[in-house]
Amino acid sequence: MAKSQESFDLVDLKLKVSGRGDRLFFGFSSVAAYFAFSLVFLIVIFLGNASFSTFKTQGLAFFTGSTWDDAAGVYQIFPMLVGSVLCSILGLLISAPISIAIAYFIEFMAPPRLAKALTNIVDLLAALPSIVIAIWGAFVFAPVAAQWAQIINNKLGFIPGLQNTSGTFVGSPFIAGWILAIMMTPIITSVCREIIGSVDKDLVSAALALGGTRFSTMRRVVIPTARGGITGGILLGLGRGLGETIAVLYVLNLVFIVNFNILENYGGSVAPMIAAYYGESSEVGVSALLAAGVALFLITLFVNLIAQIFVGRYEKKMAS
Amino acid sequence: MTTETLRLVTPETPWRVRSKSQLVYIFIASTLPAALTFLIADQMKLAGLIALTIVFLPLQLLAASLAALITVGKRGILDAILTVSVLFLMLTMGFLLGSVALSLVQKGFKALSFHAIYQNSFYVTSVTSLEYGGLGHALVGTLVIVGIAVIFAVPIGIAVGVFLTETQSRMRGSVRFLSQAMTGLPSIVSGLFVFAFLYLTGWVQRSAILGSVALFLLMLPTIIRLSEEVLKLVPQELRYAALALGAPRHKAFFQVIFPAARSGIITTCLLGTARVIGETAPLIVLVTYLPSTNFNPLSGDMASIPTYIYSWLKFSTDLANQRAWGGALALMILVGVLFTLARFFGRKRF
Amino acid sequence: MESLNPIPSNSFGADVHLSTKDVHVWFGQRHVLEGVNLEFPVNSVTALIGPSGCGKSTFIRTLNRMHELIPNAKLAGEVLLKGQNIYAVGVDPIQVRINIGMVFQKPNPFPTMTIRGNVLSGLRLSGKHSRNEDELVENSLQAASLWNEVKDRLDSPAGSLSGGQQQRLCIARALALAPDVLLMDEPCSALDPGSTIRIEETIRSISKNMTVVIVTHNMQQAQRVSEQTAFFLAEDNNPGYVVEAGLTNDIFHNPKDKRTEDYVSGRFG
Repeated sequence: MAKSQESFDLVDLKLKVSGRGDRLFFGFSSVAAYFAFSLVFLIVIFLGNASFSTFKTQGLAFFTGSTWDDAAGVYQIFPMLVGSVLCSILGLLISAPISIAIAYFIEFMAPPRLAKALTNIVDLLAALPSIVIAIWGAFVFAPVAAQWAQIINNKLGFIPGLQNTSGTFVGSPFIAGWILAIMMTPIITSVCREIIGSVDKDLVSAALALGGTRFSTMRRVVIPTARGGITGGILLGLGRGLGETIAVLYVLNLVFIVNFNILENYGGSVAPMIAAYYGESSEVGVSALLAAGVALFLITLFVNLIAQIFVGRYEKKMAS
Repeated sequence: MTTETLRLVTPETPWRVRSKSQLVYIFIASTLPAALTFLIADQMKLAGLIALTIVFLPLQLLAASLAALITVGKRGILDAILTVSVLFLMLTMGFLLGSVALSLVQKGFKALSFHAIYQNSFYVTSVTSLEYGGLGHALVGTLVIVGIAVIFAVPIGIAVGVFLTETQSRMRGSVRFLSQAMTGLPSIVSGLFVFAFLYLTGWVQRSAILGSVALFLLMLPTIIRLSEEVLKLVPQELRYAALALGAPRHKAFFQVIFPAARSGIITTCLLGTARVIGETAPLIVLVTYLPSTNFNPLSGDMASIPTYIYSWLKFSTDLANQRAWGGALALMILVGVLFTLARFFGRKRF
Repeated sequence: MESLNPIPSNSFGADVHLSTKDVHVWFGQRHVLEGVNLEFPVNSVTALIGPSGCGKSTFIRTLNRMHELIPNAKLAGEVLLKGQNIYAVGVDPIQVRINIGMVFQKPNPFPTMTIRGNVLSGLRLSGKHSRNEDELVENSLQAASLWNEVKDRLDSPAGSLSGGQQQRLCIARALALAPDVLLMDEPCSALDPGSTIRIEETIRSISKNMTVVIVTHNMQQAQRVSEQTAFFLAEDNNPGYVVEAGLTNDIFHNPKDKRTEDYVSGRFG
């Protein structure tokens, strides 16, 4: 994130647009902007319409019920909403410590060339296609992770949330959580690395001159100063995880039953559900799927908005 | 004024010197936990990764803390724990990603022979030997579908970026806010939107262009956001200089500002393309997979690399699996190439 | 290389807690400081003067083992604190930094901590303990001439202070660790004249019971504040070195070396 010019208006030059060249130039860019603007509005209106009609027929039960029956015209996504949040939070619990650790390593522990190489690798991984993770997840990771899940269930199954009634562990939110963690880590690491790296080096010097050890400097100076930005980064990762479709589709067994047991062999998630059900749905069904997508989009939007606020506030603090 | 040296002074790093006993402790702390873990895992027949977490990690933490305590003192313990934890977390993720890379290469390599690049899968079944058939049709399809999306998204995206940086319109805030919001559009929602809005209504037949539209919607916000950032990086002084020389605004832009931002713009486009090249969800919904090659985006089905992979995954034979992995490997190589190009162009900054 | 300058006369025949023996500094292959032999008498202020870029700041960082934190940093020679080489094998750099404190050019209080928190931050960071923290906070702030201005708002954030106050807070923060030596790297360059005077007063009062080493560009400041002065110089691409060192009075009014005379009378630098 490079610093960009602050005030940007050519107000003091007070130049008017003149001549055909300029008119075409500004005309085209304005048209493009209005086009993009209208596009968004179009999407909003269309999706809004689909959601509204679904909401009218399904009522509040759309969000709170657990039945999806296209033939009967009943569409309810509560288990999917629960599952999306559950898997994403599980993914965050795994990904956040790892991402912060990698970011810290790059900025404070690695020699300069290794740091640069790692930064490039992390940025590359942010473009990792989900279908690649999906295929790896389904064929290579899931069997192994199911074994871990079994062991955890054996030793710790008495804890609520870690129970399993079916004996199989493939298709559990646990596995989906790990997959999401892998997809979230690059973006969280990327943001956190920038944030941690932009902590004023003078502060770190001061801490070290006061006898700070690596741990105490990190704990007392680096993390508290970077806290807002790190939170923002984590939320951005959450936003990414909530929208993940294909990778989760391949490892999670979608069932319309609310499930909080991460080791149970089924779960829910809105984005994969839409992908899975669009084919067999009537037009009304597709509308309901769109409504579900809108619900997901709004949640993601909200999370991203808060993330931007956190990161923005941190950047303002650094600039002062 | 300095005299000739009679005695050479050598640069040293005294802070790195460890006493013999310190070295011994460090060596033990680095190797003993690993050795012990091997023994214990062998005895108790634990799965490798379990052994790693439950046995190795605590042992290593303990050993590192003890070594720190002995060599440096109480202060060193937390540092040791921090270092071990950071390295452990990194290795965990590294291990998972390494597994992805390894699987891709191991399982997909055989399906990616030279002929795979130009042959299609028309006569290929789930039991056809890997000597026949390939993903040429998928490559073409991806090129066409993503290409159309790029051809529209890049000029429009840059134009909106120009709108945001070069004009003083009051609409700028709203446009910026909305395009920022749209970067979070889940890909499946984009696909389903195009499905319902263009296809179900009957306006557009089922063809590859639908996929391009969905990808366009996914690319555009990113290109707008990144090109705005890149254009803002061009120093104000350049603009003023061009205008002071009497250039009209559009000439100032094309002959001064844009060339200055050019490498950043190229990077933006490459990154935007890399992002959508692997998008599967919208293509599954919108563009039916075709085992042969179709160059026409306006009619008929078309293959693409993600749907190619998806279609082979429906079969359970080993050969079908390998083809799927081959497709995944090809996709990863494409993304890697685009990314490297983006980095390469990004380096040539003013 | 044998250094040219003789070990400067021990000003009052006083004790010396800190001294350097033939210190050389490199960054990678680049030799930036050669043959520095200096003694810093206890309970007094020694100023390091010289044109910018001749290695004063680099040198001062070898005194509290901050130099080694820079990648590719190298060193030769010894730095003796109370007779012991701080670079000897087995010496804990943290302990060195507790005993030899540092104040930087730009005031850098920790923004996420309160004033009180900042003063105590050295304790938290180094793991040192204090029996009575409130007393320590008050004593440190008193010694830094900041107590009266902030005693009613110890819990407000450090960022609410003015530049001069922030720098005094940084001094208090360093003093809270009860160091033997306080190093100051151009502590007043970023401050206005009013704050500068207050800090110089603070330095004079602190130096009554500790060794103070101050790097300064301001020759008048060196004369106001220090008892001893060492003049550093570096020519072209050659390493920096000490041209002359001795009593401040002598350096400024009776310099032995022509280069010293040229510098202190403003002919260059």
